[in-house]
Amino acid sequence: MTDLRKTLDFLYMAAGVLAALCLVAILALIVAQMVARWTGEIFPGAPDYAGYAMAAASFLAFANALNHGAHIRVSILLNAVPAGTRRLLEIWCFGLAAAVAWYFTYYAYWFVYWSWKFNEVSQGQDATALWIPQSVMVIGGGLLAIALTDNLLHVIFKGEHRIVRDTVDETFEV
Amino acid sequence: MTEIYAIILFLVVLFLLLGTGVWVGLALMGVAWVGMELFTTRPAGDTMITTIWASSSSWTLTALPLFIWMGEILYRTRLSEDMFRGLSPWLAKMPGGLVHTNIVSCTIFAAVSGSSAATLTTVGKMAIPELRARKYPEKMVIGTLAGAATLGLMIPPSIALIVYGVTVNESITKLFFAGVFPGLILASMFMAYVAIVSKTSSSWNPDMETGMSFSEKLRNSRFLLPVLILITVVIGSMYGGYATATEAAAIGVLGALALAAAQGSLTAGSFRESLMGAMRTSAMIALILAGAAFLKLSMGFTGLPRALADGIAAMELGRFELLMALLVFYIVLGMFLDGISAVVLTMAIVEPMVREAGIDLIWFGIFVVVVVEMAQITPPIGFNLFVLQGMTDHEMGYITKAALPMFLIMVLMVFILIWFPEIATWLPDNLRQTPG
Amino acid sequence: AEKWDMPMAYSASNFHSENGVTFAECVGAGTNGEITIEVHPGGSLFAGADIKRAIQTGQVQIGERLLSGHQNESAVFGFDSVPFLAPSFDDSEKLYDAAKPKIEALLDEQNLELLYAVPWPPQGLYFKKEVNSVADMEGVKFRSYNNTTSRLAELTGMLPVTVEAAEISQAFATGVAESMVSSGATGYDRKVWESLTHFYEVDAWLPRNYVMVNQDVWADVSDANKQAIMTCAAEAEARGLQASKDYTQFTMDGLAEGGMTVQPAGDALMGELREIGATMTSEWLEAAGDEGKAIVDTFKAQ
Ligand code: NA
Ligand code: NA
Repeated sequence: MTDLRKTLDFLYMAAGVLAALCLVAILALIVAQMVARWTGEIFPGAPDYAGYAMAAASFLAFANALNHGAHIRVSILLNAVPAGTRRLLEIWCFGLAAAVAWYFTYYAYWFVYWSWKFNEVSQGQDATALWIPQSVMVIGGGLLAIALTDNLLHVIFKGEHRIVRDTVDETFEV
Repeated sequence: MTEIYAIILFLVVLFLLLGTGVWVGLALMGVAWVGMELFTTRPAGDTMITTIWASSSSWTLTALPLFIWMGEILYRTRLSEDMFRGLSPWLAKMPGGLVHTNIVSCTIFAAVSGSSAATLTTVGKMAIPELRARKYPEKMVIGTLAGAATLGLMIPPSIALIVYGVTVNESITKLFFAGVFPGLILASMFMAYVAIVSKTSSSWNPDMETGMSFSEKLRNSRFLLPVLILITVVIGSMYGGYATATEAAAIGVLGALALAAAQGSLTAGSFRESLMGAMRTSAMIALILAGAAFLKLSMGFTGLPRALADGIAAMELGRFELLMALLVFYIVLGMFLDGISAVVLTMAIVEPMVREAGIDLIWFGIFVVVVVEMAQITPPIGFNLFVLQGMTDHEMGYITKAALPMFLIMVLMVFILIWFPEIATWLPDNLRQTPG
Repeated sequence: AEKWDMPMAYSASNFHSENGVTFAECVGAGTNGEITIEVHPGGSLFAGADIKRAIQTGQVQIGERLLSGHQNESAVFGFDSVPFLAPSFDDSEKLYDAAKPKIEALLDEQNLELLYAVPWPPQGLYFKKEVNSVADMEGVKFRSYNNTTSRLAELTGMLPVTVEAAEISQAFATGVAESMVSSGATGYDRKVWESLTHFYEVDAWLPRNYVMVNQDVWADVSDANKQAIMTCAAEAEARGLQASKDYTQFTMDGLAEGGMTVQPAGDALMGELREIGATMTSEWLEAAGDEGKAIVDTFKAQ
């Protein structure tokens, strides 16, 4: 059980780090494109690669952001109800969100499968086989679905979810 | 009749999901799914992925995380302190005091970034702690921030104006010029409001800054130098032809890193923290954008926004009545869609109506941007409200109330635009491109 | 009654979109309301790049797409965008007739049925200065958006700069780009006379928008309704071609009115450009293989 716990936590963290590296990649790609232009060179496909990095930065970060409480929701009702009702409400929230995330992941998988099957290539100058960048939707969506299910099980069996607000945000409370 | 059912159904599901605390992006996907399943025969899952992939892998979107990252870096430098040290001697003695720094900083950053969310996170991260430390009324701090950050859409460069310009085939350069004065006027109106409240409110007693002589003030202004250099470099790169509006964001990050290095606040730790912070904030916004993209598609399939616009077209109103009807229409639509989607979905019907009524399309672009700005701060779906919630831990209701005066000021701005259209049209009419 | 959703990429006032709306009305009337088509212009449902796949996979029943955008997938789709291969409306029609069976076969493999295709006005060259020869283009910053335009820049000695469609006006206003190849329509729509001064009618190529329907949907349409739709499609094709010709003149006049010098390229320049066109045609033929060769041979034989 602790092994599974450690593996999951490692996955959320690793995906977050990868997402952060994708932000660096966006920066590098855009700078490279500008420098290329200033020096009369071309960097074909740079905007497309930056777009893929953008998608990867978003999807890979979803689960990590969830566990750090970065995704927002309206919590008026959650804060107003007594503990027992709150737990039921949390089960509804995590259950529904997990359902949406699994639904997303399922269709993302088939979307990527058909991209691969049809040999779909990018229409830009990069001519990338699209299933490669599109896979981040399946991986990131799947991780978000796992993270939501993970939290759902915690609410059901332990009474509390595992979302911890980020320390960075607490600096606002000075 | 189907439209009425569709509207009621969308609203019920939306309020149910958002109200019970489902995460905003996922709730939007849920609502969109219900719409797809009930009102069309098209496959909901496939259309969902197609549209979400297209919207989340877009090149123009890359400016958003970069501007957010820039904000995270600047937040970890002395820049915020410095900006306050530089601005406060000048603003502290004004009625309203340092709350004006919120509005002035937003106006300045609006000239660097094309989006409201990026402006909000950059300025908010720096300004909120400083203003709280000086005991300014929380509501004013939050409210002015929510309102003034929308200037990111009005003051060029502006993503909203680019989308509008491309949709109606009007010159984006002209639209950018048209946004300058209305943006500055709107900023002054926010400032005037702050001044009035500070004089009339009993709960207004922040820590006062000590008085300074003019030469001291001038000397303190040197602290503004780093910010001014950064802004000059970013804006200069755009207007000098070195970078497009999207690429300017990358220049901003490099500039912020250089600034941090120069101040000695760039360490491996602060770099990592800024990056992880930017990663999470942009993921939060990306999830909502993904949900909004699917909702936009679902609404498009149901034909709802178009049916409403058709309804207005059928009324055959005069110029002023038409503008009033559109104002109400976009305020209502803006409650449930982000403003830019609302424009894209309805412009096909609205554009001919507006042209027929003899309304200048450049002017109308500014009108639309004010309305798009309002949509950022109206519940239940208001981007700035969401971002501020993430940033301050206040409830939506609290932030909405804090932002309400800013919303009303924007409504007033619409009327000012109608009465004095030259505010928007004078600059683009008189400023020709410099040759070469 | 059945409702078809028809995404179109260009704004509602564009002649392709207006033609699509008329086609939709014709279908509604011709099928006695059994099939109605709702047009979604301006990319308000799906953006241009996604429309082909959306029709293929049945996310929508029908839609319009610039097929040369898909040349990475199959070079044959790019037959209508080979520079200077068929540089006039008449030549472009002949080329299209030659290519049509191949395109239909290719679309058939992709679960798509072609209804009609309408050309854009011919592509010309925009500059910020007078240009009389390829030598005058040396070092000019040229907007490229795909391999063809990059290669064109390379062969003419210009500096290709990547500028996305949304940023065209800004890029010219700020000098990020100084030149582009595009139809008069794009320049007119984007009001490029604010930054650019010369338009040369070189009629480099006339890319087409194709209206296609999903084959599973098509199979379920009754023969009578198929007949009615094909009649509407033939009318739309003819009407669209005429609109494209009319619009060409209209945008030329508009560009001139905006203050641009609008003229055919000089003989010297045109000769040099044709040579470049021949190079690019042979390069395209390498990519497009036997299919491409068959198209060009049939076209040249006419
Ligand atoms: Na801006
Ligand atoms: Na809103």
